[in-house]
Amino acid sequence: MSYYDIDAILTDNQKVPCTFNLTLPHLGYLDSAPGRPLPSGTKVDLPLWLAERLAVSQLTPQTSLITLDLPPSLSPRVMNALKADPKSVDLRSLAANFYGLAERILDLFEEEEVCDVLLESWRVRASEGVEFLRGLSEEERVLFRSAHDSSKAMRVWMGEMKKR
Amino acid sequence: MALPLQAGLTPMEVAFLCEMEMVTVVPRQRLERLNLLSGPTPALRPPHRAPLPLWLALLLKRQRRANILPPPWLLPSSLERILKHETETSPLAFSPPPPHPHPITARISPTDHISPPFLPSSTAEAPPDYLPYHWLELGEILLEAASDDVPEPDRVRGLLRDLREVRMSKMRGSVKVLEGEGGGVSKMTGVGAMEVAEGRGFILGVLDGLRRLGSSREVARREREEEEGGGEGSEDEAMGFE
Amino acid sequence: MDISDILQSLGSRPAERDPFAEDLGDPFAADRGQQSGQADLQALTRTWVNERGAAELLPWPRDGLIERATNRIKQQIELVEQMTGDMDPKTNFSLIIIQTEVERWKFLIRSYLRARIAKIHKHTLHYLSTPALLERLSETEVAYATRHQQLLHNHYLSSFLGSFPQNLQNLNDTAGGISMITGPDEDGGVFVRGLGSRDIGGEGTITVRGRGRDGDGEVEVERGEVVVARWSDVRDLVEKGEMELV
Repeated sequence: MSYYDIDAILTDNQKVPCTFNLTLPHLGYLDSAPGRPLPSGTKVDLPLWLAERLAVSQLTPQTSLITLDLPPSLSPRVMNALKADPKSVDLRSLAANFYGLAERILDLFEEEEVCDVLLESWRVRASEGVEFLRGLSEEERVLFRSAHDSSKAMRVWMGEMKKR
Repeated sequence: MALPLQAGLTPMEVAFLCEMEMVTVVPRQRLERLNLLSGPTPALRPPHRAPLPLWLALLLKRQRRANILPPPWLLPSSLERILKHETETSPLAFSPPPPHPHPITARISPTDHISPPFLPSSTAEAPPDYLPYHWLELGEILLEAASDDVPEPDRVRGLLRDLREVRMSKMRGSVKVLEGEGGGVSKMTGVGAMEVAEGRGFILGVLDGLRRLGSSREVARREREEEEGGGEGSEDEAMGFE
Repeated sequence: MDISDILQSLGSRPAERDPFAEDLGDPFAADRGQQSGQADLQALTRTWVNERGAAELLPWPRDGLIERATNRIKQQIELVEQMTGDMDPKTNFSLIIIQTEVERWKFLIRSYLRARIAKIHKHTLHYLSTPALLERLSETEVAYATRHQQLLHNHYLSSFLGSFPQNLQNLNDTAGGISMITGPDEDGGVFVRGLGSRDIGGEGTITVRGRGRDGDGEVEVERGEVVVARWSDVRDLVEKGEMELV
């Protein structure tokens, strides 16, 4: 990850479901109960950068502060839909930086099947081209913009040459 | 002042590179030998053919001081054969590039590492059955600046367009098999310079996405292999003690 | 180490010869007899295309290529100036040819230098803070990078950094496992062509050792073949001259 990379920062801001493994005083406001403690076992969505830190902080040698779950954008339901037809899924509504989030999650979870499905989805959706511009993730937009720019540069060269 | 460009040559820069390709001209006027930075030019004596870099040939052509002999691969019959190869013989891969004219021998020679645009792949003596690296831009430039020197220019124009379409869809299709071969290296044998300029962002972008998604798997695999490798090492040691 | 230390240590290096200074003398006169103009053009072209194709800064040619090419251009321009006095129309056309060629050489060098400056701009501290990387820069580039970073740092200090607490003013922090000094992506893909290896009995075939997701492997690349590979897997081959970027 690159320090000044805005997409990486936005990716790290995406939320993931977490379960606290201890009761925390005064933090009830995280679960819309201000002034009260946050009981152990509460599920809260936290930004990835925070969740990752807490997940690796050890409460006891066996348990960490929180337990991370797969975000809904990478749930089995989404994976099945992608397996059935990669083009049909609106990735953008799931997560703007869908693949960036997936990359970070795959770093934390060893999810071989999720990895396979995503590799295939990225490849298939890319080779389908811009025909389905709706629902593209940020990474796909960047990819297609770059493809568009280079074929435009090519047409410009062809046109300039004819003007001589 | 910094160059505000992405990595890789732009179409404009590719055309600049292509203008260093040697072509064969037939002079219409005498021109004495000139000591250029890149070496002396041959003295031009009509009607004797002479090899010149494309940029210079174009300069002469625009002033009607010379005609340019189109390379044999740019003739309609050659392009048709190559197009047939691209569509029928090898519908997935590009047609092969011309063979290297200077084979590597036991003696080290300055020609060993020569590559386009400095190989004579577009002179009148070039082989007719292969598209050279700068085929597209060289063809387009000649059609634009010297169409009266190209036999059947409209047919050639159409064939170049067909070739371009067939090959561009191969380029796009290659993302389906990208990384297929050993160690993530994918062959693009026969690809042309403009095609690289046009497809680079897309191909490398897809590749980059695959690498990122697979990076944790790759790291895990390498760690596993190192552990296994280490295990073998200790076995060897144990055997040494026996 | 603090950035100002890095800058200071760079600034205190003895000023070496500026290759583009007017008073050039001719340190490469001996080489020039051996290197033909054609060989220099080919080397310059390859150096330019490689630099334009790589995300990271490549080593500055230490064989005097750029200095030699610059000198050649200078002499040719002097020749043109001498010839301009003569207004014979035939000479005039020769002049156009010579000038066109000079412009082409100038474009190559200018584009090459600008491509390098763009990379130095993008990752100044990356190159300045690693001695092995610093060696890739020419003397003028080291001076440029140092000065650029000083200006940037002063600008940051006066516009916002100066009002931060002292311990948050660093530009080279590595807290949280993320270094503030970023470099180019060395594993990014490149299009690269086999030029030929001198391995015995190989017909010039080059062996590329690629690192992949599901396995590492070797791919044989023929002379003239173009492949897509990770830059880090072919960097050594490009530096050895067995492959070139396209």
